Amino acid sequence: MEYVVQTTNLSKRFGKESAVIGLDMKIRKGEIYGFLGPNGAGKTTTIRMLLGLMKASSGTIQIFEKDLNKEKINILKRVGSLVENPSYYPHLTAYENLEALRKILGVPKTRIHEVLEIVRLTEVANKKVKGFSLGMKQRLGIAASLLNSPELLILDEPTNGLDPSGIIEIRNLIKQLPAETGMTILISSHLLSEIDQMATTVGIVTKGKMIYQDSIESLRMYAQQKVLLKVSDSEQAWRSLLGNGIKADWEDGIILLSEHSDEKVAKAIHTLVHEGYSIYRVEDEKRSLEDTFLQMTTREKVI
Amino acid sequence: MIGNLLRADFLKIKRKGLWFLAFLGPFGVIALQMVNYGVRKDYLLNQSDDDWGYFLEYVHSFTPLALVLGIAILTSFMASIENETNAWKQLISLPVSKMSVYLSKFMVLGSLLFVSSLLLGVFSLGYGILLNLGDQIPYLELLKYSFYPYLAALPVLALQLWISSVSQNQGIPITTGVLGVIFAYSAFILPDWMIWKWPSLMNEWDEPLINVMLGIGVGTLLYIVGMLDFTRRDVK
Repeated sequence: MEYVVQTTNLSKRFGKESAVIGLDMKIRKGEIYGFLGPNGAGKTTTIRMLLGLMKASSGTIQIFEKDLNKEKINILKRVGSLVENPSYYPHLTAYENLEALRKILGVPKTRIHEVLEIVRLTEVANKKVKGFSLGMKQRLGIAASLLNSPELLILDEPTNGLDPSGIIEIRNLIKQLPAETGMTILISSHLLSEIDQMATTVGIVTKGKMIYQDSIESLRMYAQQKVLLKVSDSEQAWRSLLGNGIKADWEDGIILLSEHSDEKVAKAIHTLVHEGYSIYRVEDEKRSLEDTFLQMTTREKVI
Repeated sequence: MIGNLLRADFLKIKRKGLWFLAFLGPFGVIALQMVNYGVRKDYLLNQSDDDWGYFLEYVHSFTPLALVLGIAILTSFMASIENETNAWKQLISLPVSKMSVYLSKFMVLGSLLFVSSLLLGVFSLGYGILLNLGDQIPYLELLKYSFYPYLAALPVLALQLWISSVSQNQGIPITTGVLGVIFAYSAFILPDWMIWKWPSLMNEWDEPLINVMLGIGVGTLLYIVGMLDFTRRDVK
């Protein structure tokens, strides 16, 4: 199997503290790899090592099946990145910012207009970045990371600090990229809901260790979302669901459907309506990453 | 690669006023002599038979101070461009070696100071002619007084660049910069081994060329040490 990124037993220590411990990351070509973990779990440290900004304490990194230590410059030619807060030169215009990077990358000038078009900053190309909103700066950062038409795009928390419309905008942007160019994307976040809507594969890291790495579908199964029902006379309603052979739990006046396929939910609601209960709310239970973590770690203990 | 980096670095210093500072330094040095000669020209011309030499000595009395101060300001401006939004991480994750990133910064600063030194020569010549110091223009001396201090100040440049590009806290390079200016001001009483004394071209053998050679040698050494340290460190 060809991996675009493969780390083996990657570790990083700062003094006595270990930020990353024995991390094995595998990213296949064309994937959108969601790199999840709470703040301080080691995501940014891992990404910095992948970009050669930090040296690993031990372990190896292979990108495009080449050793990062030996062929750093050849590898970085094919990689675009945005690490944490966007970096920019506030006294320069958006165009000049990209031009400063373009000169180093040696790509044609037309590429600047193309990437500005992609992130929809063409109209403000000649304005100083100083006056940009955070969302615009973040988009400029993404434009910069796309300048060299990378085969691997590494985005570290690209939606951090953005308002909802900014988040949606960035998300749509990221989703359309691999489809158009066959790009492989590594995107980190501390929000599962964020990754859930983009990623095809996820890796979950906590306290410097990778505790889960598989497709997003498997994670959904793992996380086992439930459907919540708020109805009148809930305890009675719950009993009648059980009586009709529908698996459900009852907690604090809320019914939890553990089987959540469309048909099963429809059937449960049909039953309740038929029996004369009023239905106030039907909603997906939104599990935070923390919940999923808890669920995962407790399961591991059971196994 | 280094050519591309240089072009990018020259673009980045746009609108930062670095070129203006490079002009202001030598202009300030000559402006002081404009005041000096403006007030007591007749007296000064009576002091020596070699009017040009005497004038250049006066010009040179302020050059080291302006140079060391200029180095401190330019390096901290230069580092602030990358530090402001921590653009180091963006720059280093491009397909460039850290060594060439550092070299490019050094070369940009070196060029700015070279322009300053050149302007100092031009301004000295211009004002000297305006003062009517004589037809025997000592071009060689003029060149020496313009470029010897620059070459002798290279270790200060290498040291300041090193400190400002690896310090998390920009207070540190500013402190060493201020100390350097104080040292340069008190060059008379400093021992010969202090790098801040060298731009004054004074030494116990009274041979300015020694300072120039030391400047180039120690400057290269400090540059290499700084570059290796910069390369070795993790980027913030």
